[in-house]
Amino acid sequence: MAISSATKAATDALAVNRAPVSVGAQEVHRWLQSFTWDFEKNRTKYSTKYKMANDTKEQFKLIAKEYARMESVKDERQFGSLQDVLTRVDAGNRVHPKWNESMKVISNFLEVGEYNAIAATGMLWDSATAPEQKNGYLGQVLDEIRHTNQCGYVNYYFTKHGQDAAGHNDARRTRAIGPLWKGMKRVFSDGFISGDAVECSINLQLVGEACFTNPLIVAVTEWASANGDEMTPTVFLSIETDELRHMANGYQTIVSIANDEAASKYLNTDLNNAFWTQQKYFTPVLGMMFEYGSHFKVEPWVKTWNRWVYEDWGGIWIGRLGKYGVESPASLRDAKKDAYWAHHDLFMIAYALWPTGFFRLTLPTAEEAEWYEANYPGWYEMYGKVYEEWRARGCEDPNSGFLPLQWFAENNHPIYIDRVSQVPFCPSYCKGASTLRVLEFNGKKHSFSDQWGERMWLSEPERYECQNIFEQYEGRELSEVIAEGHGVRSDGFTLIAQPHTSKDGKLWTLDDLKKIGCVFADPLKSL
Amino acid sequence: MSIVVAGGRRGLTDPEIAAVILAAIPDKPLETNRKMNYFVEPRGRRLNEYEVLCCYTQPTPDWIPGGLDWGDWTQKFHGGRPSWSNESTEMHSSDWHKHRDPAFRWHALYVKDKAEEWRYTDRFLKAYSADGHVRSIDPIWRDEVLGDYLGAFGFSEYGLFNAHSSVVRDCLGDTLRMSSAMIGLDKVDNAQMIQAERTFLAKLVPGFDESTDVPKNEWTKGSIYKGARETVEEIWQGTYDWNEILFSGHMIYDPLFGQFVRREFFLRLSAYYGDNLTPFFINQMQLYHSQTKGITTDMFHTCLSADPTFGEYNDRLMRAWSDKWLPRTVNALKDFMGIFAKIPEIKGVTSKDAIEAALERVFDDWQRDYADPIGYKVDTSAFIKTVLTGLK
Repeated sequence: MAISSATKAATDALAVNRAPVSVGAQEVHRWLQSFTWDFEKNRTKYSTKYKMANDTKEQFKLIAKEYARMESVKDERQFGSLQDVLTRVDAGNRVHPKWNESMKVISNFLEVGEYNAIAATGMLWDSATAPEQKNGYLGQVLDEIRHTNQCGYVNYYFTKHGQDAAGHNDARRTRAIGPLWKGMKRVFSDGFISGDAVECSINLQLVGEACFTNPLIVAVTEWASANGDEMTPTVFLSIETDELRHMANGYQTIVSIANDEAASKYLNTDLNNAFWTQQKYFTPVLGMMFEYGSHFKVEPWVKTWNRWVYEDWGGIWIGRLGKYGVESPASLRDAKKDAYWAHHDLFMIAYALWPTGFFRLTLPTAEEAEWYEANYPGWYEMYGKVYEEWRARGCEDPNSGFLPLQWFAENNHPIYIDRVSQVPFCPSYCKGASTLRVLEFNGKKHSFSDQWGERMWLSEPERYECQNIFEQYEGRELSEVIAEGHGVRSDGFTLIAQPHTSKDGKLWTLDDLKKIGCVFADPLKSL
Repeated sequence: MSIVVAGGRRGLTDPEIAAVILAAIPDKPLETNRKMNYFVEPRGRRLNEYEVLCCYTQPTPDWIPGGLDWGDWTQKFHGGRPSWSNESTEMHSSDWHKHRDPAFRWHALYVKDKAEEWRYTDRFLKAYSADGHVRSIDPIWRDEVLGDYLGAFGFSEYGLFNAHSSVVRDCLGDTLRMSSAMIGLDKVDNAQMIQAERTFLAKLVPGFDESTDVPKNEWTKGSIYKGARETVEEIWQGTYDWNEILFSGHMIYDPLFGQFVRREFFLRLSAYYGDNLTPFFINQMQLYHSQTKGITTDMFHTCLSADPTFGEYNDRLMRAWSDKWLPRTVNALKDFMGIFAKIPEIKGVTSKDAIEAALERVFDDWQRDYADPIGYKVDTSAFIKTVLTGLK
């Protein structure tokens, strides 16, 4: 249309119609796919063996300002609840002490996952070629910043209003001391950002988010609420509303490579590796946090695991991807065994190493022991009896001079660290499936606890070279390590970590530890 | 009572459970330090909420300066490349965690601002259309300049947006990463708002083409944006150093080319052509530019240039990068001068003297705010002279 007639037409149209007109987000989004252009260097900086399709669409179709509007509304509700009613009813303090401690770990470790997911989805934004797919990943980049801030806010809230701020107030510094940290970094940090971009997407979106965020972010809210914590449901359920989009991003990643020949060759291996990587840590750690980090119990972890991981993810979610050639991971069967005992094995080791934590741990009470035995027959014989012995020897009392770690040494039950997952295990005293495998490479010994991790290492040992805490701390006295890692409270000598949450119990200090004279040794050196 | 809780009973409100919890809580808090991240050095007098929620969220080991963790990465890229590494940039820092967004915006504050801008955009467009403002726009300005050339500028913003993806992946600090993602989102927002304006015009003006075909053709094949396109492509995909991407995009190209196109062309001229619509959108972009300027000058001047150990080295590197990116940007501006032949001339507004004055404003601003702080000596009049040779 010629310009002059267009002007006339516009004038004529306006003469009869002055209805207010605006532009909706979808009217802008529908042009997004045409925003890019071809040029010589237009390729990703992060190589992948898969080829993502150029015409991949996203499901949520957001533009930047609409994204902001949606998130802002959610923020108003969430922070309104936290800053208003929950503060007025002293909710931050009225949480069972055991759960107060669990949230030091859960919220901070989830924060690490969310933070690394910013970088992971930045990589996917770079790798995707379709603007809509890039847009989906971009939305996730912003979401992950949101979640990082939200997780931080939970610790911030407990710091300001809770009964024990130590650990909540410095988790970002003290978390690196203990045995749970490196394994957490494998699943939630490096597993998301270091590797083939699609492999990282499978780790993050297809397994981490579609599988484990359900127990980690949804199921945890039931446990929190039962134990008096209403802050965590307020924040985590708001996080979960974004996770749905992330699962859709993972789904679209698979759709974008479905027709690529590489998918038929590598996809199921990458999925199996990713699933084993994630489950190897989350299955025991989440189970331990829920069951041993609470007073009031919602249901046995094995049931939660079966519902969310085995049935919902392994069956329904992966089933939906079946048309793209995706199969349930071969390692799912072994993981199912871990869901029964692995968290009990891990708690035993975590408690033995309690001084290295940034939280207080508590041995099961008699009432809890009954619950464990009822739900995990055989628990008492394996674990309950040992805890009774530890308690009788005064493990909670700073004057006792007894650390449960000594029991492992006295009974010749060395604790090893799995090189690939960085998860500690004690092959001679466990009910889970851990078996000791030791390999030597370039003059260095490496221990493994299962065939799946060992296979990953055998294929690419250069990817898994990280030293573990026993190698790092070898020859050093325990209290020195704790002091150097800032694992003390504001008085400068009382430990942040404690082996009980009793309000009448005495608190351990650096001196109490020093008297014991515990020195780290690398168990692989004695093999 | 039983420790088994079923049926969604809540510890805060269920009297029986609450009684057990209250009995277990210590009589007084076990720790008196209620300041989270108390070990962080605040930028201002006191640690603020942004610093509490953002600082040290990145778990880098101490061999990446500023990191609090120890040891190696638990999983690396195929072949053994580390997750994050000092080699990802030529810049050196004593502390990659030092940067702060001067506005201290964490996610909630950032989206709150943008959400308000979106709501206000909706209200403004409704009022604008109901008032019939569109009748006053010069038709050539509307159909050719806004339809084609503003549309084509959207690709510049979209390309710069994509340049942030590898920065978000590779950069070495948490506050850096969050700031980079936000200034990247602002760039795609600009591109989307340009399309929103064109879609809005298509609703009001029968025959106005909202399709991206013509603008894309202008961007990829036309002469006016040729230099800009080549520079954006090089920033986006030709550059691997994440600091160089940020520096070239936000310390050279955008303060010169972006500022001239947005502020001195579309914003300054639109009123002369009866266009009250475009300033609404450009002013949002100028707000983002101003916020981004605060962020990137903090990164490059406050942190890297002033680094106690590496400041002098970093200044030298930034001057070298300026030598590399300035000629390309000047060339982009020179190509853009061709646009003045496409619009009806208004004496003292689009004539050479006015263009020169506009270029002087942009180059003077750049020299004062970006070149001087790193000791970069530059003859801006020579660059302006070169740019003006692009006038047809």
